[in-house]
Amino acid sequence: MLIMVDSKYSNIVLGYNDELIWKHLKHLCLQTVTSEQIEHLHRRFKQLSGDQPTIRKEHFDNIPDLEFNPIRSKIVHAFFDKRNLRQESDGLADEINFEDFLTIMSYFRPIEMNMNEEQLDHFRKEKLKFLFHMYDSDHDGKITLQEYRNVVEELLSGNPHLEKESARSIADGAMMEAASICVGQMEPDQVYEGITFEDFLKMWQGIDIETKMHVRFLNMETIAQCH
Amino acid sequence: MFLLLPFDSLVANLLGISLTVLFTLLLVFIIVPAVFGVSFGIRRLYMKTLLKIFQWATLRIERGAKEKNHPVYKPYANGIIAKEPMSLEEEIKEIRRSGSSKALDAPEFELSDIFYFCRKGIETIMDDEVTKRFSAEELESWNLLSRTNYNFQYISLRLTVLWGLGVLIRYCFLLPLRIALAFTGVSLLVIGTSVVGLLPNGRCKEFLSKHVHLMCYRICVRALTAIITYHDRENRPRNGGICVANHTSPIDVIILASDGYYAMVGQIHGGLMGVIQRAVVKACPHVWFERSEVKDRHLVAKRLTEHVQDKSKLPILIFPEGTCINNTSVMMFKKGSFEIGATVYPVAIKYDPQFGDAFWNSSKYGMVTYLLRMMTSWAIVCSVWYLPPMTRQPDEDAVQFANRVKSAIARQGGLVDLLWDGGLKREKVKDAFKEEQQKLYSKMISGNHEDRSRS
Repeated sequence: MLIMVDSKYSNIVLGYNDELIWKHLKHLCLQTVTSEQIEHLHRRFKQLSGDQPTIRKEHFDNIPDLEFNPIRSKIVHAFFDKRNLRQESDGLADEINFEDFLTIMSYFRPIEMNMNEEQLDHFRKEKLKFLFHMYDSDHDGKITLQEYRNVVEELLSGNPHLEKESARSIADGAMMEAASICVGQMEPDQVYEGITFEDFLKMWQGIDIETKMHVRFLNMETIAQCH
Repeated sequence: MFLLLPFDSLVANLLGISLTVLFTLLLVFIIVPAVFGVSFGIRRLYMKTLLKIFQWATLRIERGAKEKNHPVYKPYANGIIAKEPMSLEEEIKEIRRSGSSKALDAPEFELSDIFYFCRKGIETIMDDEVTKRFSAEELESWNLLSRTNYNFQYISLRLTVLWGLGVLIRYCFLLPLRIALAFTGVSLLVIGTSVVGLLPNGRCKEFLSKHVHLMCYRICVRALTAIITYHDRENRPRNGGICVANHTSPIDVIILASDGYYAMVGQIHGGLMGVIQRAVVKACPHVWFERSEVKDRHLVAKRLTEHVQDKSKLPILIFPEGTCINNTSVMMFKKGSFEIGATVYPVAIKYDPQFGDAFWNSSKYGMVTYLLRMMTSWAIVCSVWYLPPMTRQPDEDAVQFANRVKSAIARQGGLVDLLWDGGLKREKVKDAFKEEQQKLYSKMISGNHEDRSRS
């Protein structure tokens, strides 16, 4: 069941006349995002981009609250990562339009009540894949020890009392634990190259972590929608 | 051709008579009361009439919208994201609990910790508190000013006519009146204070200076048609204290100074502002800084301390936010004025945006455009609360004291108390804040790490 949206309204919201794009957007959001929320996001997009049709990395500098966040650069990076934008090519995009913006936002959809097993599984894989891409910064499909260390260091970078050594040892310890889950007992001279996506999935098997990875919209009453 | 001449002189006569009448009315009803500090209540009557008209206009719009099936847009002031009020520690514990089937006592670091920060990041990208504060407050009813008309389209002929009439009244009648008053007020201030400055120092000079200042500020208040309600006047600032208020626009100065005699603090400007500043300092010891001196915090603090310690000197008026905020919240107070050690008299100013939005978005409008907008609004309506004096306790530092004062002001004025720095409008976040969040998180982890290694 798709949301009923007035086509005149869609023109006001998006400024494009392309029926196909509108259908695609509706599909991205399904029942969990109303047309008002898309409008709000569109306004937010315009505010961030300064009324331009696309956003670049610099535009995210205008959000003061985001500076607070230790993994800020990884989050912004995730918006431009072509793997997250479902494009065939690899690497980083220079700029994204509103459709791409919504694509990234759709990774944070909450679970719907009426999803079947297959949909749920796909849903979960999508979210975990997003996270995997965040760790795997060189796009080689594996989270190496160095990449893992980078993430831990970023998360702990603000504390002057915590030395780099401690951060390293924390990362190393966690990595070893991950290795033991994925590969079991290792030979002394066996080198664990890195966590692949399958290993990543294995680590979270049976645990529904993805219920924590969504953004809930406020339940907004429509005001004066007099039909 | 001959008919034109008598007609011409008739017109000239009429013009002359109407100007004289206008001028007399001006004098009697506005300037004389300003001089003596009394009020006929004309402005309040005007305000009540306007309110009735606005209510009618809003009803018409809503009715019209219903008839035509237009959605009437109302902005969501609270943002669109449902946030749970859990702290960082609690949220991460919950994530770990739902993720890990291992023992609950502190795994050191989990891949899932990143979920929390990731989600927070996306939430702030979707909607953030701070940027909301810097755009003008949005109204729920229309006050017949097209600048506040975001989404109300053409509804009915009657409403448009009323709006047109409003434009006519505001631009052709009120604006010239206000400009004339402003001109009178400012020139009287400059001339009056220069004259008083020639007198020798003494009680007479002080008395005259006080009354010249008050009189001219009252004329300026009427020039903006500002309808001000003062509450708790017994808490008004006394000599040797510092008066601290939240800042929405440059008009704040006029509003406060028309009810009390203050020493101003500020930077010397060029142009008309500079002329006024140089004139007033002759009559009364205001504290003006040169542009180069402003950067030197110690010098500023020293001069202010000297001024405050002299008990015969007037209370200083300071706006610690450092910039204009849109009057829905109070931002971080800069600690400089709170280090001086004098009694602080907080004042809360709250504007009613229904009659005219007083917020000055200095990145959007220059000073002259801003003043013109003010003078072509219906009126400026505000409330001023004088809060009881506060002093710094021995066990708190300047920042904590500043925050305490800020909370008191925010609470009284019904404004939201935000921790954010008003300077963010122009600069980026100070690294100190970023570190706070990271410190909290890493304390959690390294604390656990230490426990582990100890046991």
